[in-house]
Amino acid sequence: MGSLTVEQQAGYWVGRFKAMASPCEVLMEASNRSDAVALAQSAYDEVKRIEQKFSRYRDDNIIYKINTSQGRAVEVDDEMANLLDYADHCYQLSEGRFDITSGLLRQAWKFDGSANLPPMELIERLKSSISWKKVDWQRPYITLPSGMEIDLGGIGKEYAVDTSINLLKQKTAASLLINFGGDLAVTAPRKSGGGWCVAVDSPDRVGSSTGQEIELKQGALATSGDAQRYLLKEGVRYSHILDPTTGWPVVDAPRSVTVFAASCTEAGILASLSMMHGSGAEAFLNEQQIKSWVVR
Amino acid sequence: MKGQRLVLILLSSLLVGCAVDVKPWQRDQLAEQKMQLVTDPMEQSFDEHIYFSKEAASGGKGVGGGGCGCN
Amino acid sequence: MQLKNRTLRRQLSLATCALLTGIPGQASSADWVVDAGVMSYSESDRVSAVKTIATGQRLTEETTISVTVLVDTLTGASPNGASAATTSQTFTTASGTAYTATEKETPLRDFEDTRTAISSSWEQVLNRLFRLKLGADISTEDDYDSLGLNASLSRDFNNRLTTVTVGAAITQDTITPSGGTPVERSATDGTTLAIQSKEEEKSTTDLLLGVTQILSRTTLTQLNYSYSLVDGYMSDPYKIVSEVDAVTGNTTGYRYEKRPDSRIRQSVNWTTAHHLTEDVVHFTYRYFWDDWGIDSHTFDLKYRYEIGAGHYLQPQVRYYMQSAADFYRHSLVDSEVLPNYLSSDQRLGEMSSYTIGLKYGFPVFTDGRLSLRIAYMQQSGDSSPSDAIGSQKQVDLFPTLEAMIVNVNFNIPF
Repeated sequence: MGSLTVEQQAGYWVGRFKAMASPCEVLMEASNRSDAVALAQSAYDEVKRIEQKFSRYRDDNIIYKINTSQGRAVEVDDEMANLLDYADHCYQLSEGRFDITSGLLRQAWKFDGSANLPPMELIERLKSSISWKKVDWQRPYITLPSGMEIDLGGIGKEYAVDTSINLLKQKTAASLLINFGGDLAVTAPRKSGGGWCVAVDSPDRVGSSTGQEIELKQGALATSGDAQRYLLKEGVRYSHILDPTTGWPVVDAPRSVTVFAASCTEAGILASLSMMHGSGAEAFLNEQQIKSWVVR
Repeated sequence: MKGQRLVLILLSSLLVGCAVDVKPWQRDQLAEQKMQLVTDPMEQSFDEHIYFSKEAASGGKGVGGGGCGCN
Repeated sequence: MQLKNRTLRRQLSLATCALLTGIPGQASSADWVVDAGVMSYSESDRVSAVKTIATGQRLTEETTISVTVLVDTLTGASPNGASAATTSQTFTTASGTAYTATEKETPLRDFEDTRTAISSSWEQVLNRLFRLKLGADISTEDDYDSLGLNASLSRDFNNRLTTVTVGAAITQDTITPSGGTPVERSATDGTTLAIQSKEEEKSTTDLLLGVTQILSRTTLTQLNYSYSLVDGYMSDPYKIVSEVDAVTGNTTGYRYEKRPDSRIRQSVNWTTAHHLTEDVVHFTYRYFWDDWGIDSHTFDLKYRYEIGAGHYLQPQVRYYMQSAADFYRHSLVDSEVLPNYLSSDQRLGEMSSYTIGLKYGFPVFTDGRLSLRIAYMQQSGDSSPSDAIGSQKQVDLFPTLEAMIVNVNFNIPF
């Protein structure tokens, strides 16, 4: 695994690697290099495990097995079952806006900043194969009607952050920050009593700071929104957030929403759900009393 | 005679059963409370006691429920 | 919507917590549902009963635990089995209270009883296809105690379109009338009592085989076959039969009743529910027969009419008819050879009964339901049977029973 690097910074160690198509980093207040390498390696192994198990780009995992089951029941293990239970709850709670069968819509929508809207017929055709309601989920058996697909991409990265954090917490009491492509979590306050400083990226200039710095002692942050992924037609900016109930992107969604929550998965779901509210995103976040940063 | 009647009813219900396929996602109406075969268990328990104490026939819907003197 | 939104975040937190700690199904959290109901049953000039039930149910995805408490208070008068006569008749209860039926009046015995019953059940999803339900009931009255256990197992077939259920129950009853049970078939002048025993027993075994079938997106049907074997004391210790003169038809004495000590009951019960656009129709037909010579048919039709916003009206019609038990006699002739079994209990006679009712239900609070029902029941048989002798032709040998039923049911999830 040559892709993992560990280096020392002022007062902490940082491990870097690429996983889930994102740059990942683990910041550790480890006492020596070998501890830091071991911890970073564990996080790397865990995120790879989740990537292999739940990626929809592979043909050797449970997602592939379910997506090619042709309407037959597939038995899943406890971890997958927990994720499906979770997806089911999110579907119910979001009144269908969070739907792990909605990935098919990507066939129609290419978010390249252009003005190319997909043909209506294509969206309508895809929509007939989208609805978690049509899936028979009776733990531990899932029966997916043929033609439909599930995709855990909407929660996979955040989930990996949380499982990695839980894993590393069992190995060390030292303060850690895990950051997988902007979704991150912190285990405990640092030795100094302070937290880790995190800058919220401006969606227009990736990598540069908006000037908003957050000191994170505990908990997690997740961001929904992406500067490069939108369509612009007749002055309407179509975000890459698709509403499965309409098959169309959400109009007037913020450029990005960053949410603070106890876990990264929760923060991620809240950020996505708030985007779904379009122009009402801020109102939703206020109503739910969610600590968040919105960029318009 | 009675036995035959029972078998006939059973068979016909199974035959009808084979002819249909109602997918899980088409069972929304069947899942409603008002479509349960016993919609109101409490009302049923009241009624069963009344009829048990006034009529010779009883039972048929399930097992259990407890006995009473019911004069 | 507003209420739902406020809880969204909390529910998401719970769900996420369950996901990350790997506890399946925790997020849907256990829910308690409480049902409470009060029913008043009153016969004109006879028995009136007030029944109160409360059920608490704890539902999780795989387990349902339910506990029900029932308190039943009965007061009023019940026929003692003697026929009406053209003269007045006087009787004495075991406790020494005398009561008189005036001429042409059906003799009624005053009574009072309280029944308390507790039943509990535990239902568990065993795996994808099997469900098991276990239950226990205990009930106690002044003169009657009952203890029962039951179990049923269901299996889904055919993509869950079909469910087959097998069930069994055993019930053990103890009958302890005040003053003991009378010697069956013994003669009584209406005031004295020969004691047969202090206590009698009865045991019941029930077996059930049921098939539930989804017929379409809107129709569900269920067919049950039940077999029940009862062994032990089934006579009614308070009921007597009039003996009349073969020529005049005048009452000359009374005898305590006697029923066989074994009974096999069987029934086929067919229930269908059909969903119209909004409304729902329920229809039940039961055919019941036993080895006492009773055959019976029951038809029950309910139509739930949705008014809107969760309010509904549900009219109901029920029709019941039965043939008489072989040993049913409205009275005995004093010169005849005493039959082995005899009873004049109208419950065992040939008769028919209908009930018409109307129920109104509506939502209360967030997810609660309240319903009110009023129903009228009438039971009638042959008041002037062709074998009536002399003065018996002037009296009602099968008085019509009329009753009003009112009940209020309340269901609230927590």
